[in-house]
Amino acid sequence: MKISLNWIKNYIDLSEISVEEIVNRLTMAGLEVEDFVDQNVLYKNLIVGKITEVKKHPNADKLTICKVNDGSQDVQVICGAPNVAEGQKVVLAKPGAVVPKTKLQIAKVKMRDIESSGMICSADELELGDDHTGILVLEGEFKTGTSISEALGLNDVILEIAVTPNRPDALSHLGVARDLCALFNRELRIPKIELKESETDVHTLASVEIEDKLNCPRYSSRVITEVTLKPSPDWLQKRIKSIGLRPINNIVDVTNFVLHETCQPLHAFDLDLLARHKIVVKSTGEKTKFKTLDSKERELSENTLMICDAEKYVAVAGVMGGENSEVTEKTTNILIESAYFNPASIRRTSKYLGLSTDASYHFERGTDPSNTIWAAERAAQLMAEVSGGKIAKGTIDIYPFKILSKEIKLRLTRITKLLGYEVAKSNVVRILNKLGINVIKDLGDTLLTVVPTFRPDIEREVDLIEEIARISGYDKIPTISKISITLDRKTDDSKFHEILRDTATELELNEIINNPLQSYKLASLTGSAIGISNPLSSDMNYLRTSLIPGALTVVSNNIKKGEKNLALFEIGNVFNLKVNDPIKSFEDFTEITSLILILTGFKTNRQWHTRDESYDFYSLKGLVNAFNRKISLDNVLIDSYNANEKSIYDNYFEKILKDSVIGAGGQVKSDFLEYFDIEQNVFCFEYDLGKLKDVPQNKRLFAEPLKYPKVSRDVAFVFDKNVTFESVRKFIIQNGSELLKSVSIFDLFESKELGNDKKSMAFNLEYFDWNRTLTEEEVDNDFKNLITLVVKNFDAHLRGN
Amino acid sequence: MLSEEIKKVRDKFDFEISTVRTPDQLEKIRIKYISRSGLVSELFNQLKKVPPDEKPEAGKKLNSLREQISDKFNQLKSSIESKNSSTKTDLDLTLPGKDIFIGSKHILTQTLDEIKSIFKGMGFSVFEGPELESDYNNFEALNFPPDHPARDMQDTFFVSKDFLLRTHTSPVQIRVMKNQSPPVRAIMPGRVYRNEAVSARSYCVFHQVEGLYVDTDVTFAELKGTLVSFAHQFYGEKLEYRFRPSFFPFTEPSAEMDISCFNCEGRGCKLCKSTGWLEILGCGMVDPNVFKHVNYDAEKYTGYAFGMGIERIALMKYGIDDIRIFFENDIRFLKQF
Repeated sequence: MKISLNWIKNYIDLSEISVEEIVNRLTMAGLEVEDFVDQNVLYKNLIVGKITEVKKHPNADKLTICKVNDGSQDVQVICGAPNVAEGQKVVLAKPGAVVPKTKLQIAKVKMRDIESSGMICSADELELGDDHTGILVLEGEFKTGTSISEALGLNDVILEIAVTPNRPDALSHLGVARDLCALFNRELRIPKIELKESETDVHTLASVEIEDKLNCPRYSSRVITEVTLKPSPDWLQKRIKSIGLRPINNIVDVTNFVLHETCQPLHAFDLDLLARHKIVVKSTGEKTKFKTLDSKERELSENTLMICDAEKYVAVAGVMGGENSEVTEKTTNILIESAYFNPASIRRTSKYLGLSTDASYHFERGTDPSNTIWAAERAAQLMAEVSGGKIAKGTIDIYPFKILSKEIKLRLTRITKLLGYEVAKSNVVRILNKLGINVIKDLGDTLLTVVPTFRPDIEREVDLIEEIARISGYDKIPTISKISITLDRKTDDSKFHEILRDTATELELNEIINNPLQSYKLASLTGSAIGISNPLSSDMNYLRTSLIPGALTVVSNNIKKGEKNLALFEIGNVFNLKVNDPIKSFEDFTEITSLILILTGFKTNRQWHTRDESYDFYSLKGLVNAFNRKISLDNVLIDSYNANEKSIYDNYFEKILKDSVIGAGGQVKSDFLEYFDIEQNVFCFEYDLGKLKDVPQNKRLFAEPLKYPKVSRDVAFVFDKNVTFESVRKFIIQNGSELLKSVSIFDLFESKELGNDKKSMAFNLEYFDWNRTLTEEEVDNDFKNLITLVVKNFDAHLRGN
Repeated sequence: MLSEEIKKVRDKFDFEISTVRTPDQLEKIRIKYISRSGLVSELFNQLKKVPPDEKPEAGKKLNSLREQISDKFNQLKSSIESKNSSTKTDLDLTLPGKDIFIGSKHILTQTLDEIKSIFKGMGFSVFEGPELESDYNNFEALNFPPDHPARDMQDTFFVSKDFLLRTHTSPVQIRVMKNQSPPVRAIMPGRVYRNEAVSARSYCVFHQVEGLYVDTDVTFAELKGTLVSFAHQFYGEKLEYRFRPSFFPFTEPSAEMDISCFNCEGRGCKLCKSTGWLEILGCGMVDPNVFKHVNYDAEKYTGYAFGMGIERIALMKYGIDDIRIFFENDIRFLKQF
């Protein structure tokens, strides 16, 4: 919101306060000044010049060489504008001056070999208008050489203030002035209104009726007759322009002026276009259409608050007037609407129509129900002044249920309890008074206050405390350097994920973080996706059902950039719908945290000392096992292979904990990869961390290292190809003696010599006893026995014999 | 006089020669001490100025210095030369070492970890909550009434009338307080969503850390103390700070905390948009209406809450100028941190 300091000076004496001080104190009181323009600085070194000569530039068609008088001498300026002519008064920027819009500093330059000592500015460059087609020609009497700040009265300071939604009162010059009064201890000067009323009673000219009293608690109105619509006088245009608005005509400009003076949106109806000169405020019963004054036909929902005359709708209450009752050049009689509408009702309408106007912006934040008459009278006074109209006698004011000022108790001890320091009572009272909050009773520690209706945000004691804190300044609140810590048990929900992230990075993986919002196509690949009702775009309109599509997208994007070797992980939430209906409770969907591991390409970049090793199924399996070991689940999980036919994996495996699949993965099927434009093998595994989180992890206890030597035996068999490693391992363990502690595979190969349907597996068997040294003999007995059994059971034969 | 100089040169030489490892360094020593214009020769030149009766004594000392220096020098010279020849093996020591990959946590995770560890040190617990939240937890219980313009501060993705993607981590406050009675001292990190156009400065998904402390005598002064301590630990001891009034429906009074720009130290630069200040977090005293929703006695208990955006912090800290890079997962970016 733009605030003009020249304007605000009508309500507060700001003498001896610097602009910087105003900006700083407002910001530190919650009215954040995001930016400000001091025109005295902006237009420094820009002066009124008179063009005394215009010649063609010898080396450029579109340029002219101008002599511009700066009050004391002629300077030579090259100009590119088509409208430049001798005798014009123009704005001259001499070397050293800064162009307001571009912020570029003018310097002496040569343009096509001819020297130019300045620039003649356009309205656009000066930020005085949009016109950039030619230079700004000053019309009227201006003394050559004077600064344009002085000549054009450009000595204002415009503040851009970010007003938070709780401060509707601060959306106006009077509102900001009130805060300044509290901050700088000055007096607020509310303009006095003196009306010259005509003999005609307003009640004979118009009438108002409120049907929907809930949504329109108050409607005040004034009537002006015999107005002439014309452009506003200079002073009014200047005010309107200073806050970035465009002057329209004297009537509209007055309504805008009063809105920005005091936060009360007004609407001017052409009284003669209102059937039976009557206003009725009521809500639509059903959906209906209505043409607003921007000539747009709009569809209104049922229960939209409308302003009607005796026959028809004439305005969408609090949002925008209708074309059918708009003030035009033909208008002579005006009805001013100054109403208080229910903020929630206006907001619903504005949201429904997708139409936010200055009026709706104020109404939905809450205007002052006690101020409608003042605003109507202020507008009547100004309209009469600028349009020659006559003010009908009296005000129409329908106010069925009076909205009262709130009485709130404020305890000084509570201020201390909340802020942590004591504010002197005299200061508290002074601040409240300056803000328009009256202290009506002083009960020692407790003050009884009355909060005016223009501060709907102040409802409770704590809101008053905030006012004290913000006007005193938060810097007055001490910054304590000691805190007490409770010795209660601390919770850390993120601990488990931290362990997993640590493990993943130890295992040389890089963490990725994906946007959970995806296209329907991606999200529905892996589950029953939940849609967004109001998405940003069609590639982000569903929530991911698994981490796989996002991770594969990352793989694909990196491959396109030439990064083909990737080992990645992500921990994130995935969402699945459990019902077909819209979500009504937390039972209707699942949100679980997943962990995905993904491998593709080579394990290392090309190196001089080793052949490139590419990731394969067993890299993934090893990685998963390392993870399980790290979270102490390595001995309790059961593997299952190729259990699910619908899986997106070839060579699929699952990890099962007590009948529940806690994770699954494998080599991603090539037709699935095609979808992501990936041509190389990708291996991935996804854990459901929800199932893991609450599993009591196996406690690792210290085991004393073995004191006696192990005895090791190697043996290789040739099997039929379909014999699995695991079946042989199990068989050996089951049939071996107590002394056999482990069986591992150390070689695997196939060859023509063995035969097409054969393979060789070589095993290492480890024997030991915790309490003694074994004899070769007892080991050999068991070992030989096992060989015989394996040969017999698997129809295998010993290799190398 | 001269004997002092001799001692100085000897000590200096002894020290310098003890650091010599390469033939290059050795040659520098030779030039400095032993060459014709070296320090030892210079001392011999000074011998002329010595009174005649002291000359013999001084000359003796000088000679002994020359001998010691040249002995030590030659010894080292032969040792360095022999080392170089004896290390000539089959190995080409200049070949690069075998690659060892280091995994990496995402820079957002690292930033969050750093923040977490500071608050954990101050006795905060860590709680998490779901991203798909109820309107009640995300807005209503946090004192955003329906049809209130405060809702415009956070553009929301809805999945149904009553469910949405949380717009802030503040609903976890509600979950924590409903679950336990005071005292509560917790931080609540997590992912949040805003229905805002994607640009270099804003993304529709980002991360926040929420903080909450409720007990019988929690004051604004303690809030300031805690956050200033955090800022000093995270951004450095030297920074200046300020608390500005602001508005959040779930805190009253509310504030925004600015710190002096660490890029320009408050002089004004692009990062701080020439203001000298960087906005780092929002905070305030828990609004009594929030306590009402979780059945805490607002008369007995007071509390503070704060929230900060991780991306914003990481952008500033690492000089990144486009927020989208966090979610692109370019491996070359990921491996930088």
